[in-house]
Amino acid sequence: MPSNDNMPEMSLYQPVQVEDAISLAGTLAERGWLVGGGQDTYGWIKDRAKRPEALIDLNGIESMRGISETTDGIEIGALVTLTELANNSLIKERYSLLSSAAGRVASPQIRNIGTLGGNVAQDVRCWYYRRGLNCYRAGGNLCYADTPEGQNREHALFGASRCVAVTPSDTAPALVALEAQMVIRNAGGERIVAAEDFFVGPDVDILRTTVLRPGDVLTSVRIPAKWANAEFYFEKVADRNVWDFALVSIAAAMRVTNGTIEESRMVAGAVECTPRRLTNVEQAIQGRARNQETADAVASLASQGATPLNYNHFKIPLMNNLVKRALTV
Amino acid sequence: MTYMHIGKDFTPPDVEAKVTGAARYTEDFRRDGMVFARLLTSPLPSGRVVSIDASEALAMEGVLGIFTADDLPPSLPPANPALAKDFITYIGQPILAVAAESDLIAENAIEKIKIVFERRPFVTDPLDTLLEGGPDPYPSGNTLVRNASAGAAAAGTTASGTDVGRIKWSLDQVTAFRNGREPVGATFGDEWTYGDVAAEFAQCKTIVEEPFVTIGYPHHSLEPRSGMAYWENGKCYFHGSLQSHTVGHAQLSAMLEIDPANLVFINENTGGGFGSKIFPYPIMAVTGKFSRQLNRPLQMRITREEEFYIGSARSGMQGWLKVGLKDDGKVGAVDVIIVNDAGSGGGGSASSSAEHISIMYQPAAMRFRGVALYTNTTPRGAQRGPGQNEMASVLAPIMDKAAREGGFDRLAVRRANAPRPDAKFGPRQGGLSSSYMPEAIEKAAAMFRWDERVAQPKVTAGNKVRGIGLGMGYHSAGASGYDGLLRIGTDGKIYLHTGVGNLGTYSYAGVLRASAEALQCSWENCVVVYGNSDLNLPHSTYQGGSNTIFTETRSSHVAALDAIRKLKEIAAAELGGAADDYSVGGERVFLTSDQAKGLTFAEAAQKAIDLGGEYSGQVYPEDINATTKRSVEAMKGTGLIGVAKDTLPKEGTAPGFAIAFVEIEMDLDTGKYDITDYTAVAECGTVVHPQGLSQAMNGGGVWGIGMAGYERHVYDSQNGLPANVGFYQAKLPTYLDVPAKMLTAGMDMPDPQSPVGARGIGEPAQGCGAAALMSAISDALDGHLFNRTPVTPDMIVNHVAQNGFNTGDLKTNTF
Amino acid sequence: MASAASNPAGGVERLVSINVNGRVRRVDVLPQETLAHTLRYKLGLTGAKVACNRGECGACTVLIDDVNYYACSTLTHNVKDRAVTTVEGLRAEDGTLHPVQAAFIQELSPACGFCTSGQVMSAVALLKANPRPTRQEAREAMSGNLCRCGAYDHYLNGVMRASGQLS
Repeated sequence: MPSNDNMPEMSLYQPVQVEDAISLAGTLAERGWLVGGGQDTYGWIKDRAKRPEALIDLNGIESMRGISETTDGIEIGALVTLTELANNSLIKERYSLLSSAAGRVASPQIRNIGTLGGNVAQDVRCWYYRRGLNCYRAGGNLCYADTPEGQNREHALFGASRCVAVTPSDTAPALVALEAQMVIRNAGGERIVAAEDFFVGPDVDILRTTVLRPGDVLTSVRIPAKWANAEFYFEKVADRNVWDFALVSIAAAMRVTNGTIEESRMVAGAVECTPRRLTNVEQAIQGRARNQETADAVASLASQGATPLNYNHFKIPLMNNLVKRALTV
Repeated sequence: MTYMHIGKDFTPPDVEAKVTGAARYTEDFRRDGMVFARLLTSPLPSGRVVSIDASEALAMEGVLGIFTADDLPPSLPPANPALAKDFITYIGQPILAVAAESDLIAENAIEKIKIVFERRPFVTDPLDTLLEGGPDPYPSGNTLVRNASAGAAAAGTTASGTDVGRIKWSLDQVTAFRNGREPVGATFGDEWTYGDVAAEFAQCKTIVEEPFVTIGYPHHSLEPRSGMAYWENGKCYFHGSLQSHTVGHAQLSAMLEIDPANLVFINENTGGGFGSKIFPYPIMAVTGKFSRQLNRPLQMRITREEEFYIGSARSGMQGWLKVGLKDDGKVGAVDVIIVNDAGSGGGGSASSSAEHISIMYQPAAMRFRGVALYTNTTPRGAQRGPGQNEMASVLAPIMDKAAREGGFDRLAVRRANAPRPDAKFGPRQGGLSSSYMPEAIEKAAAMFRWDERVAQPKVTAGNKVRGIGLGMGYHSAGASGYDGLLRIGTDGKIYLHTGVGNLGTYSYAGVLRASAEALQCSWENCVVVYGNSDLNLPHSTYQGGSNTIFTETRSSHVAALDAIRKLKEIAAAELGGAADDYSVGGERVFLTSDQAKGLTFAEAAQKAIDLGGEYSGQVYPEDINATTKRSVEAMKGTGLIGVAKDTLPKEGTAPGFAIAFVEIEMDLDTGKYDITDYTAVAECGTVVHPQGLSQAMNGGGVWGIGMAGYERHVYDSQNGLPANVGFYQAKLPTYLDVPAKMLTAGMDMPDPQSPVGARGIGEPAQGCGAAALMSAISDALDGHLFNRTPVTPDMIVNHVAQNGFNTGDLKTNTF
Repeated sequence: MASAASNPAGGVERLVSINVNGRVRRVDVLPQETLAHTLRYKLGLTGAKVACNRGECGACTVLIDDVNYYACSTLTHNVKDRAVTTVEGLRAEDGTLHPVQAAFIQELSPACGFCTSGQVMSAVALLKANPRPTRQEAREAMSGNLCRCGAYDHYLNGVMRASGQLS
């Protein structure tokens, strides 16, 4: 098994204008690799499991930093670090769902450098895939995890299509719950994609986890005012309380008026390749109180339709329990 | 007893360098012209190398050469080879090394090497190879047998003395065992019995029979086992990372096939070992020999992933246990079967596991049967309390169940069976040097307020429940027969030489406090000499098995006694009277009746040089080890030499005991828990270094939490691929997985066989913590037994949901 | 020096100046080189250790503009205009140890010492941002640093002592 310390020789570009980054991304296409915090980049390249010819370091682009108020909510530069997100007073005050999620990513040092853009664009953590095996997601024609003896404790309950890896991002479920809009630019211009549509499963594209294509740069994320100051619940269950990716996470946004849930967005992480919106739960709780009774009545809907593998049955009760907690805490 | 140094905190000489970054570890050393070597490791779990084509790599600019198994003496299974050729037995096993002018070039070159492999069948679950007709990890079998030249086979070394044999069970036997029943009529590799097991069981009121699994896991010492070597004037200078020092020196010179006098081993700091660096390890041979072959200083860097492969791991254990309690709460009989996963090399530790039960519960009769099986997973070796600690952790909840079924308080059962000073244990029914374990149990229970907590309500809030548990750890903790060496210089300083390795416990310095104690001198005037074999170090014990404190306070003490005798004789010769009329203290030797009459240590050292002979090391005791003799030879005439072999009486086993109490608050929704209290008490005789003891007990507690809750090997049985080569999947506990504050204490009661009363504690510190946490988890779930380490949140969630996926699959090496 | 700004569309220049421990050092840096590599292999600053090289342990932690980062997972080309502080740069000019270093000695915080440089740097970063943290805050701030010896309790005691909250 190769085990390396050093990234092989490659070029590094450090544009300071977003236009230059877009131009480089377009020109280099598949040969280039965008770097924000780099925390999901360097391991891949050191392992030589991914071999870009050039890194396009976005860190010099000031316009991709900062958190600002807009007419309809806030706009967060894709280079805003997870530490900034966790500590930003505006976000903590109005969208604590996102600051809570950002504060649970990996470790303090990773949050200090890791960016929102990188957190949502990171690749899956399936350990077979990460070992550089030639699985479906790596362009091959088999899955190692979905096999009779596959060690698939961390894998998907839903949406498997050849690949059974899950979304590893802690902020992604929060962004889907908050109905965030992802601002993507490329040589052809700008497009806005709803967070819910930004993440894609293996049935859509087995080689990628988002709609980002070579040449695209995610420049910012907009959070609409709709969910500002709503009732939120975020919880991530992981083996260790530092570094580890979620076994299951829940991000919930609820608008509660006069004791009843008017509208809600319930999103689970780490149960599918994309953040999984629990629309059946959302429907079932509409018009009900946010309390134990509601929780008990609807919790089992969360995992409805789950297809467990050999080692991940626990995710079914766990996601039900997290939904229950979102409704009772 | 009031001591001057023993029992007092001090600042070990290496601490400041550790906080300033000045402390140097192997990889921090540079040498002009140094080249970088990297490993190519096996992509397949079992097979052999058919051919190697390195031509493209060797043609690359900056590549200096390759080194393969052909450059080393042949090695036969199951010895763990530095580089594999004919017997590849696990994924990640080193095949060859490449050296280049930079590490990047070396890595690039490795990608260009083409190897033709031949595959062989492989196996990752020991029960799969145990089954009749099942695959064998080696072509010649699945288990270790001692051959005629037995005795030399240290785990994880290239030493042989062993062969690979074969043990198989029938399908019925394996099936019974997998399903938690006794495999009637099965063959074992090791067994022992004492007492009449059947008769004792017949008298037991409560009998509990349970299967269990403990999964092995990597040591993952933070410092990988990199090495750096260079050769000058026929001598090899080797910067390495070992737990032990002089023991390593002798063995490493043998591995390099050079005279020990031609090896300078430098190892002032070691970034963790935990049993995996007690003795030189195979890859060191490559570092030294490759450097010699290239005639260049050479750094062999081991990456984290490679450290997983070659850095050793704990054995896994799968077993069956039957234990009977009499109506007075005493354990009547124990019957235990253990199948060890010995990885692709090294041995099992099943007998030690069984010994844990024997000593901690003192059954009137006991039978142990075991078999250690190889698998195509990483080589296993000693890891912090091998055998004892994993047994402690699965045993604790089973003993809790026995207590509950017998109607006893769980603490009461430990009390009733605790090893007393006259305790006997193991197949030979040997005794102990001393035991204050009954007192330790009382002290820890009082600190934890067991009686009060047992009575507290179980449910705390919502879906949160409390669990309280207790656990005990044991390891033999001391040997004898090593040498002590010191020199009093003409500068009046006391140079305390030690061949003890600096593995991070500060025991290398702590044991020398016994010399200062005997000499009644100030610590400020003592200089600790260690870490470099050119500094004339004595033959000291290996650092492992909680061994150092007992063993080396003895040798440190006898060296001081020798120096004191010489000081008195010199003073008597110089100032008149008999040697016995003199005393030492305050860096002087003086007439007891008239303290003004005496010599300073500086003066006495000069006199020793003038007198020569044994006083300044021209003559030395016959019974000291060759290493010590060489050191004394090199020091002769430089001061007053105190040197002696420890021949103090020693009888029975010097034990290290510890007991821990844990309280957790478990969240039934998520399977996560907070450890809300951790209280542990060490029974290790006199406390030598309170801060050091606290460090050992806290660190052991963290290791216990790792064993009980997090760490485990995971292999895919379909391709032999390990999942947890890095820290992330290996799940080493972090700051936020352990209590914010841990409470520990030592009994501080002297062992009569140590001149300062001290014994070691490193291993039991983990066993007690792991066991207590397992006990608390079980208690939180109303006594449910997972019968496995680790217990992870998914298992708890499955159990609470009663979805049938809890302990259905007792197996090693899986999630 | 050709900065990124003056060369937006091209690749980086290899010869760069970086400010380490208050000194500007000229060094030849490969485009893909990590800060840990530059510090250890090119500048002789071996205090930061490479234990995992994957951002999974913290032994290589250094400060960049007073914030703690994993040097193994930071590109050297990213710190060109910033102040890097390593464990070797903490002593006062008169040689006095940094309060964190002094406290870690007093509390016997290090065990084997291999993670210690990183623990020191995370503690220094914490106390710059929060001079009197609670034990819980310290625990969270230090949590990106593994200690395989399990000396967490002793390190936390050291942090509390360095912040003047333990006498």
